[in-house]
Amino acid sequence: MGAELITVSTDTEFVHLAWKRDEKELADVKYAMGADPTGKISRLFGVYDEGSGLALRGTFIISPDGTLFNSEVNFYNMGRNIDELMRKFKANLYLARKADEGCPSKWKDDGDKTLRPGPEMVGRVHEALND
Amino acid sequence: MSDEITTVKIGQQVPDFELTVYEPENHDFGKRNLSDLKKAGKWTILFFYPADFTFV
Repeated sequence: MGAELITVSTDTEFVHLAWKRDEKELADVKYAMGADPTGKISRLFGVYDEGSGLALRGTFIISPDGTLFNSEVNFYNMGRNIDELMRKFKANLYLARKADEGCPSKWKDDGDKTLRPGPEMVGRVHEALND
Repeated sequence: MSDEITTVKIGQQVPDFELTVYEPENHDFGKRNLSDLKKAGKWTILFFYPADFTFV
């Protein structure tokens, strides 16, 4: 999809290797597993927990020109949903092409209804979404 | 580089960074840096989690 997924934790690359080798859930993993033992990258994105030395569950989408488009940070015990990540990523791709449109909350993929903000939409979002 | 790290915010340019990675596909170690990914015209998705050997 023209995207590079990199997972990041404060473990070293050696631990990543051992985990990948041991955990059957990771058998099909193809993405690069990033090591951030100093917490420098985690701090850059504001997910470094100084108390534990671990990274919080954060997901960040960066455009090809280096702009941070999306961030999502969950508490320790809340897993992330890959469908929601893909929805946001696809919306970012779409909006990178059509910056004057907006993807509403129910937007899922190309072809779904978008909004074009303007004077005629003021107070008429319901109509714009449902016409 | 300064020791103080400013957190990047939505809409801002992400400063260049480099990560040492394990690449399961090659079963080897390598590097990823944002400037190379930008040159390749790629979007980058960073997925942070607390620790290996736990659920992600």
